[in-house]
Amino acid sequence: MKTGRYFQSFWLYALLIGLAIVYLIPYYIIARNALMTQREIAAFDWILWPSQIQWRNLIDLFNDPIAPMGIGLKNSAIVSIFQVAGQLIVTSMAGYGLARIRYKWADAVFFLVLGALMVPAAAIFVQTFLVVAEMGWVSTMQGLIIPPMFYVFSAFIFRQFFLDFPQDLEDAARVDGLGHLGIFWRIVVPNSTGIFVALGTIGLIRAWNSFLWPLVVGQSRDTWTVQVVLSTFMTAQTINLPALFMGAAVGILPMLVIFFLVQRYIVEGVKTTGIK
Amino acid sequence: MKMSKQFLFTLMTTILLIAMLAACGEQSAQPTPQAEPVQEEPAPEEAVGAEEAAPAEEESSEAGEEIIIQHWYHQYGEDGTFEAAQRYAAEYSEQTPGVTVEVNWVPGDYFAALNAALLTEGGPDVFELQTADIARVKAGQLEPLDSLFEGVQDDFNATALSRVTVDGKIYGVPMIIDPQLVFYRKSALEEAGIEPPQTMDELIAAAAALDTGRVKGLYLGNDLGSASYLLYMSTFAAGTTMLDGNTVAFNTDQNIKMWQKKQELAQSGNLLVGAPTEWWDPSALVDGLAHMQYIGLWATPGMLAAMGDDLGVMPWPAVDDSAQPAVFIGGWNQSINANSPHKQAAMDYVKWLWIENTDIQQDWNLSYGFHVPPRKSAATSADPLKSGPAAEVLQLMDEYGATPSVLWTGAMDSAYIDAHSEVLLNGADPTEMLNQAQTAVQAELDSLLNQ
Amino acid sequence: MAVQNSTYDTANLAQKKNRARRDALSFWIFVGPLVIGLMLFVYIPIVWGFILSFFEARNTVSPTQYVGLTNYIELFKDPRFFDSLVMIIAYSIFIVPVTFALSLGLALLVNSVSRGQGFFRTTFFIPVACSYVIASVVWKMSLFNGLPSGFANNILWWVFGANPVAWINTTDPPLYWIVLVTVRLWLQTGFYMIIFLAGLQEIPHSLYEAAAVDGAERGWKTFRYITFPLLRNTSISVLLLLFIEAVQAFDEFRNILGGGGGTSIAGGTQILARPPLVYLYNVAFQDQNYGRGAAGAFIIAALIVLVTVLQGRILGFGKREY
Repeated sequence: MKTGRYFQSFWLYALLIGLAIVYLIPYYIIARNALMTQREIAAFDWILWPSQIQWRNLIDLFNDPIAPMGIGLKNSAIVSIFQVAGQLIVTSMAGYGLARIRYKWADAVFFLVLGALMVPAAAIFVQTFLVVAEMGWVSTMQGLIIPPMFYVFSAFIFRQFFLDFPQDLEDAARVDGLGHLGIFWRIVVPNSTGIFVALGTIGLIRAWNSFLWPLVVGQSRDTWTVQVVLSTFMTAQTINLPALFMGAAVGILPMLVIFFLVQRYIVEGVKTTGIK
Repeated sequence: MKMSKQFLFTLMTTILLIAMLAACGEQSAQPTPQAEPVQEEPAPEEAVGAEEAAPAEEESSEAGEEIIIQHWYHQYGEDGTFEAAQRYAAEYSEQTPGVTVEVNWVPGDYFAALNAALLTEGGPDVFELQTADIARVKAGQLEPLDSLFEGVQDDFNATALSRVTVDGKIYGVPMIIDPQLVFYRKSALEEAGIEPPQTMDELIAAAAALDTGRVKGLYLGNDLGSASYLLYMSTFAAGTTMLDGNTVAFNTDQNIKMWQKKQELAQSGNLLVGAPTEWWDPSALVDGLAHMQYIGLWATPGMLAAMGDDLGVMPWPAVDDSAQPAVFIGGWNQSINANSPHKQAAMDYVKWLWIENTDIQQDWNLSYGFHVPPRKSAATSADPLKSGPAAEVLQLMDEYGATPSVLWTGAMDSAYIDAHSEVLLNGADPTEMLNQAQTAVQAELDSLLNQ
Repeated sequence: MAVQNSTYDTANLAQKKNRARRDALSFWIFVGPLVIGLMLFVYIPIVWGFILSFFEARNTVSPTQYVGLTNYIELFKDPRFFDSLVMIIAYSIFIVPVTFALSLGLALLVNSVSRGQGFFRTTFFIPVACSYVIASVVWKMSLFNGLPSGFANNILWWVFGANPVAWINTTDPPLYWIVLVTVRLWLQTGFYMIIFLAGLQEIPHSLYEAAAVDGAERGWKTFRYITFPLLRNTSISVLLLLFIEAVQAFDEFRNILGGGGGTSIAGGTQILARPPLVYLYNVAFQDQNYGRGAAGAFIIAALIVLVTVLQGRILGFGKREY
């Protein structure tokens, strides 16, 4: 019945909008607190939005001697960008190799990679730390960038994707005399921007938001990433709340921007993979 | 086989990437740690007499080469401390050619960061510790510093020195002494008609009497008093210590009773919970969130400024009449990394900073928060500590002060604190938990001493 | 097809061998770096950690003193480790179905709206950009802080007229679970919703139309007999991922409940809910007992692999359907 459907429709929308509001609250809080004074944050009555926007919180944040946000941002940027670049190159090539190249031991290697997928990264962090420490990579950029680069999940998705890749294009190229590398870089990659963007974004967010590994490996102040800076800021002996939230805002903004630019690709990417 | 351009391109990109990473790595890790695998020195296998670690390292070429000394502090809460630390470092760097001191101010989990750094070649040269515990000495992490104390050893507070002395050798230079007790608002106790509590039962009653609903009776921290120092202090106030030589000493009936009393306190509802700051920050007492607060001498300037004569202080109450109240004597010391390539330079720096330079010791101890200078001569001439609650603290410290032995390590802390937290926060049975803690700590102690 | 005779065969064989060799080289060029990386950062650490776990390794990462199974035995006797295992299993059993249901629910809701799908989808997906650390900051310092100025406490006051509650520090009832669970739900449901959405949108409309012809309206019936069964593969992947993530919980627990333990200056609220990884972090990095930490990490990893394989056996890994 028509009225029934509209009624149902109304409640559906109401529910969704209600949920949407709930989901947006944390972001609202970050924005609000970042722009207020300490007193306003601690006020008994909830202040919806500061009457006077405190941009000086931004300055205070970067001048805070305890929370080196500048260093954190720089390190996070370096680590994220290099790690994602490495991840995309290494895992896409591995995915392609596993999908397309005939090789006697290919299956064995595949199981090796599959095994690594099953080993949970966070559960071997102590062991990986031991190896990294023995390599002298504790509190170094390479220690932060390289180990997480070998993102098996990414290799798997690439492999699934390349399995589905139209072989005619590759065959045509082969006839023209290109070898595997040539086909890969000249034909396959340029025609796979969607998946690269999707996995690149996932990798970027993963790298930027990572906490346990940078905490464990980047202990020295000059190798702190944004997440480590914010975490120590939260547990510091004296807490400047507005600056902390401004820090949270600054820490999340780059990811939000990228996210908005790219979320469509991620959704597409998920659709075209075998994950579902 | 054709060497395709693409192949070369890929190869070059990879090489370039690695090269860039290496360059970045060099830049951000100063002083640059070596890239070769770290040669670990085997932990000394002898019995209890811990000897020095590996044969003395070669000093890196002194002539004309700039030595950078990495100096790590944990984050101090008082304003001005960071600047002061940097000032001292700058002063020394200026007057010592060829040496620059860099201060690393570590907030948050100082010990985890320190431990990770000590595993590598790029770790700090000079760093803070609270005690020079035997585990570190055995692992060869600490350099013996007896030579720095020649002629002045007697001037140092005995308790402070005991925290850094292992088997007769000194492994750290005491910097500040932190007595911890309970501070309270005198007027509040007067109004409620109660005397400062001397036993745990009196404390429980006082907390209840002082709980007006809006203002709570007592603040022990948001974890209801699970923090380590309070735990030590209450152990002493139960008439025992944590370790007695090679055995666990804290599993006594008195301590069980103490834990029961603390559990009662935690569950009474008279403790302040959910305060915006922790127990080491005096805001709870000063801002009137609670009438009594567990805290240390360091916060006295702020408390005096806000409360003046209304500030009272008392030791942690005894478990009952059979024991004495207790004051915890904590503090921080400076140790030197036994694996540092600049040991001699670091030792010169530390000697200048904490042994020779009494001005700096006074400044560090008194200008930002109140600490007791570890040198007796400096302590007796410290004016701010001669009157008011600060003087009382010193008196109480002399009478009731105690500190854990150097056999007490971080791992034992974990076990003891966790057991205690279970009792306070999860309502576990004190007898059972103390047994559990005893098992764990004894195991740690045994494996440590049997190495 | 080519006619085969002996000279042709020889030439063909040689050509094949050449190609095989070229393929082998290509394979290693493509897959080699990943394999090397996995060797270095996954397999060697596992082996090294495994070896180290049989040694007494305090304050050092080099094996020097062989102690056999001591580390493992001590861990199994350790009530704290045991508690953390119990805790994480109970936690996983709870959070995995809840997240699953919520994500699926969101996907169904979003999917059934004709207008604004993009908006809703984006809104629920945004938390993915937020890190656990930042979310912990918001949850601990603002949403659920114990002060009257906290968001939750404000709601308590305005809606229920109730006094402020110390969410994180109240043990009776254990309100801190609300904080811990909601933060994870907020961070995770959006991502899994997207996965479900993709799965839902693969289901051909014709199926629903056919059902409608038979008299079944969109609703519970169609969900039960059409939608859910066709989401089987997706569901399996989601369940597996959720479980692996739940068992490795670390970030929000450590940031909201504190670093705690050892000679850390912060107090002991960590004990309220301590997952194995947090405990192992303490053992390795605060107690400096690397041998024991390695043993514990090995046990956890083995546990996860075991459950993964079990789930694979029972539910199947999710084959592609043609």
